[in-house]
Amino acid sequence: MKKNNPTMSSTECRDLGRALCIITGASRGFGQTIARNMSRLVKPGSVLVLVARSGDDLRALQAELAESEAGRVGLVVECVVADLGQPDGLEAVVRRSQESFSEDLDHIILVNNAASLGDVSRYVKSFTNMAEVDSYLSLNVTSSLCLTASILQAFPQCPGLRRTVINITSLCALQPFRSWVLYCTGKAAREMIFRVLAEEEPDLRVLNYSPGPLDTAMKSFSDMFAQGQLLTCEESCAKLMKVLLDDNYTSGAHIDIYDL
Amino acid sequence: MLDYKSSSESPTPCNKPTKMSGKNTTNRKTLGRGICIITGASKGFGRALAHEVFHLLEPGSVLLLVARSGTLLQELKEEMQSFTDKQQLVVHCVATDLSTKEGVNETVKVARQEAVNEIDHVFLINNAGSLGDISGFESLTDLEKVNSYLSFNVSSPLALTAGILQVFPCRSGLRWSVVNVSSVFALQALPSWALYCTAKAARKMMFSVLAEEEPNVKVLSYSPGPLDTDMQEEIQRLTGLSYRLFPCQESAAKLMELLLDNNFASGTQVDFLEV
Repeated sequence: MKKNNPTMSSTECRDLGRALCIITGASRGFGQTIARNMSRLVKPGSVLVLVARSGDDLRALQAELAESEAGRVGLVVECVVADLGQPDGLEAVVRRSQESFSEDLDHIILVNNAASLGDVSRYVKSFTNMAEVDSYLSLNVTSSLCLTASILQAFPQCPGLRRTVINITSLCALQPFRSWVLYCTGKAAREMIFRVLAEEEPDLRVLNYSPGPLDTAMKSFSDMFAQGQLLTCEESCAKLMKVLLDDNYTSGAHIDIYDL
Repeated sequence: MLDYKSSSESPTPCNKPTKMSGKNTTNRKTLGRGICIITGASKGFGRALAHEVFHLLEPGSVLLLVARSGTLLQELKEEMQSFTDKQQLVVHCVATDLSTKEGVNETVKVARQEAVNEIDHVFLINNAGSLGDISGFESLTDLEKVNSYLSFNVSSPLALTAGILQVFPCRSGLRWSVVNVSSVFALQALPSWALYCTAKAARKMMFSVLAEEEPNVKVLSYSPGPLDTDMQEEIQRLTGLSYRLFPCQESAAKLMELLLDNNFASGTQVDFLEV
């Protein structure tokens, strides 16, 4: 019986196919780890489209992946330096994805990972400035909704083409925490977007994955929830990859690393 | 799966019904001498709420009716006039667009002008809302359209609630109640309704966080049920579905009853169809 180890090379039988995988917030933290793990789980000829606002960090990751084993056997890595809150940013990602697509790809994977914490020191009563709230929702909610809708429109349902949409969510999508109104509200909103999507498109695989408190720049989160027990991005990402490979989650479900 | 119940359930001196709900001459419970703000008051559920609430406010109370249509608000004010005059209730029509920061600020400004009066209850009903595009996920590619929808349905009630909280800071002797007009679709995903469900889920969470933060503010997310409003007419027209609708008055009366009984845990959601 073949060993079930998702971090082995693509010669193992479990993989995510010949995929076009778009990852937002790919320049650092969990997004960067997802990019690395995806690169090992997709077949040669696959394409990763890495999206972030930081060009330098993205290009460094692109170089790293090009030199990796996956890169050497034919993984294509594209970088799109873009602000997904702007129409031209969003269009750039869709266009690059369309340009990178070829008929022999059998899987579209969209990872909505980019997000921000917002000011987690302030109570509801301090948010009298509507523009501040608008700006937060634009980055954290609107951009993921519009990007997902645009990608699904660009890559419609088609025989032989699997489509998977992942939303990186949080315990904060389900539970309110004082002084965290923007983050909780944004996560609750995002999670509902993807739950509706799952209901609406039964052929789509939709996953709301809550990665747990990670050792990333989004440190306040970790400090609050981890009580010293931080997870590495690798640990959490390995679990995410296993869920994707097993592919028996209910579409739209909220899966928390601690459930696994 | 965690539920949405807030943990801040313990009643505080500001919220004891026996202290804060006054009694009028017929010995019925009332909402006290309050300032009551209702958004989206010109029609539908908001208008029905206005009609219910003025009976429950004591002399010296102030009612702020907020909506875009000055004409409809003025009509509403006139409908209540004989009672409100007799009962010494002040009614302000605030004709403004709550999808703009100017609209939110205008409403807060009018409320602030009333802050000089002796009141024992601040009562904010975040009712204004819109349906949004329900034609399906793939029509939601436009950033501006989605931003605009979230601004009106999420940012606006947050900024308004924050503004009113700052005008009337919590203090001993002041009862504070916030209602979020919610929906079963704050909790349940409905295909094609991404905008509406997302905004309702966002609002539910936002007001749950408020409940966690402010033990002196009683927060209720109220799902009013399917009502005989323009919004439902639009839904039935767009979807071709036909189902039973309840009169706004019935649901508004039920909400008032819930508020007077004051037995709910702050931050929870209560559904008209289940009480």
